[in-house]
Amino acid sequence: MSRKVSDLLTKGIIYLATGITLSVLLFIVGFIFIKGIGLVNWDFLTRDFNEKVVYAFIESNDVSLSLDEETLNGKMPFDKRYETHLEGPIYIENIGAAIAKVAYKNHSTEREQVVITYIEKDSPFDSAKDSTGKNITIGTDYILQSINGTDFSGMTLAEVAETISAESGELKIKIVQPGGGIKSNIITTLYMVLLSLLVALPLGIFGAIYLTEYAKPGRLVNMIRFAAECLAGIPSIIFGLFGMAFFVVALNFQISLISGSLTVAIILLPVIIRSTEEALKTVPMAFREGSLALGATKLQTIFKVVLPCAVPGIATAVLLSIGRVVGESAALLLTAGTVAQIPGTLFSPGSTLTVQAYYVAKEEGNIELACAIGIVIIVIVIVLNILSRITSDKLDVFNKK
Amino acid sequence: MDANIKFNTKNLNLFYGDFQALKAINMEIREKEVTAFIGPSGCGKSTFLRCLNRMNDLIDSVKINGEIIFDGQDINGTIDVINLRTRVGMVFQKPNPFPMSIYDNIAYGPKCQGLKDKNQLDTLVKESLMKAALWEEVKDRLNKSALGLSGGQQQRLCIARTIAMNPEVILMDEPTSALDPIATAKIEDLMSSLKKDYTIIIVTHSMQQAGRISDKTAFFLMGEVIEFNETPIIFTNPQDKRTEDYITGRFG
Repeated sequence: MSRKVSDLLTKGIIYLATGITLSVLLFIVGFIFIKGIGLVNWDFLTRDFNEKVVYAFIESNDVSLSLDEETLNGKMPFDKRYETHLEGPIYIENIGAAIAKVAYKNHSTEREQVVITYIEKDSPFDSAKDSTGKNITIGTDYILQSINGTDFSGMTLAEVAETISAESGELKIKIVQPGGGIKSNIITTLYMVLLSLLVALPLGIFGAIYLTEYAKPGRLVNMIRFAAECLAGIPSIIFGLFGMAFFVVALNFQISLISGSLTVAIILLPVIIRSTEEALKTVPMAFREGSLALGATKLQTIFKVVLPCAVPGIATAVLLSIGRVVGESAALLLTAGTVAQIPGTLFSPGSTLTVQAYYVAKEEGNIELACAIGIVIIVIVIVLNILSRITSDKLDVFNKK
Repeated sequence: MDANIKFNTKNLNLFYGDFQALKAINMEIREKEVTAFIGPSGCGKSTFLRCLNRMNDLIDSVKINGEIIFDGQDINGTIDVINLRTRVGMVFQKPNPFPMSIYDNIAYGPKCQGLKDKNQLDTLVKESLMKAALWEEVKDRLNKSALGLSGGQQQRLCIARTIAMNPEVILMDEPTSALDPIATAKIEDLMSSLKKDYTIIIVTHSMQQAGRISDKTAFFLMGEVIEFNETPIIFTNPQDKRTEDYITGRFG
């Protein structure tokens, strides 16, 4: 009888533990989704984080409005949470676009701005050029600041509309491309993944080959293995400090993409070495013997027979590594910086998604935005996982029959 | 020295660490004959076979002394081991085709030697598969994975793979122990047809098999060669009491 009771109790504890774990996980993911989902849309993914001022040159040309008033009024700027609608919209024929006045909240200051809420088909904006004659895209949400030198600040929306309508011929419009997007962070993250894997994968794979195929078992190998295991357990901020002292300062790479990716590559090495080693160990000895008995050299055996068999294991290493890079923040904060821009060269700084999430949450107190970035991170990790699983299945030599 | 002698071992001793697995083996193996090694498990017959193309190099604790003369050269001397293995091929107990296509399995060895010409490779693959009596069964699926073949087909593929290197000697380490009787019969037929071109040395647990296919038989016990003679003599008129006991099934 008492055995039955204790069995039941243990079972209860097991179910409870599983239940708690699952619900905590669901709660966290759910929290992030609920908090951030309102901000995630196409503009959020494709815009720069910072605003950018440009001068657009367009040829004025009357285009009549094809929408009824109600539909036009329904078209509002995407970033509803931070903009208060003040006036408009008013459709202006000679630029083929509707404008509205909104209060745009940036950091803690509020600015009144004239924004484009709708662009008509065949509007002159479609063929807008910058001062060098290059085509530029103008979209809704873009802020208008002046036309042919007349500044809009202090004007009511009606006055602005009048000013624009009065102009003709070539118009020179000062436009602010709205920010608030995370395009640069997504791209920096992908760069970081690619670069760090480019460095860490060959190093890790060759290291694992040495450990499993060449090194005679003994003290040295055990030491290397122990060191790799210790490295895997060291918090990444320590690597960040090292990267800062070595890559950023000593090698003078500055806070940059290259410093960040090299630092992350070091963090990845133990993971890659360990999983590749495990994968190589599972390749049957019979394959090595078979290959050597055919007069292949050891290197030929390793590269033509053993490594292809280990591909699924190596793909797991890649998968784990990608997760690690996408999730890395402390080390990158110190080595790659917090500048939300697409790094132009290897030596320019750039902030990854996690660093950006940290930055907006900590420096701007904008939890919603951080959560929205969190959603993007989660989705990227899931997509990359699925992709590498598919490729590893495709490359698995034992799957093909 | 007899020109027909392919392998000649002189006082060969082999140690796994402190354990002596082969004791003073002296044996002459002739060209284009099938030589079978029989004996109970752990008697050293496979170990001896693996000495002949230096597969024991892969095991760190192995120490060898004595001589193994192959075509007048001591194979533990300055000989190039890669070259030795192209001349002395090996087929293993469990079929071990590489996880690649049937074609690539056969072409693997020649490619490793630097053969690149597609036409030559095609011919070689076809010839090897024909010699191994596998061509008819696989000619339509050369680019399919070798792992999709049956056990017996896989083992014939491994033989074909070895033949593709055009070796002088083929070592076979219990090649049929993992196969069913029909597949075994096919491989035995194959061995007798290969005999005219190659020297074959086979380790087997089946005395019937040794009796069916071999010209000479060596009986191993506890690391020693107890008796080495013409196969009919070993099976009908053994000189040593221990051979007779083993043949008649009194132990082993």
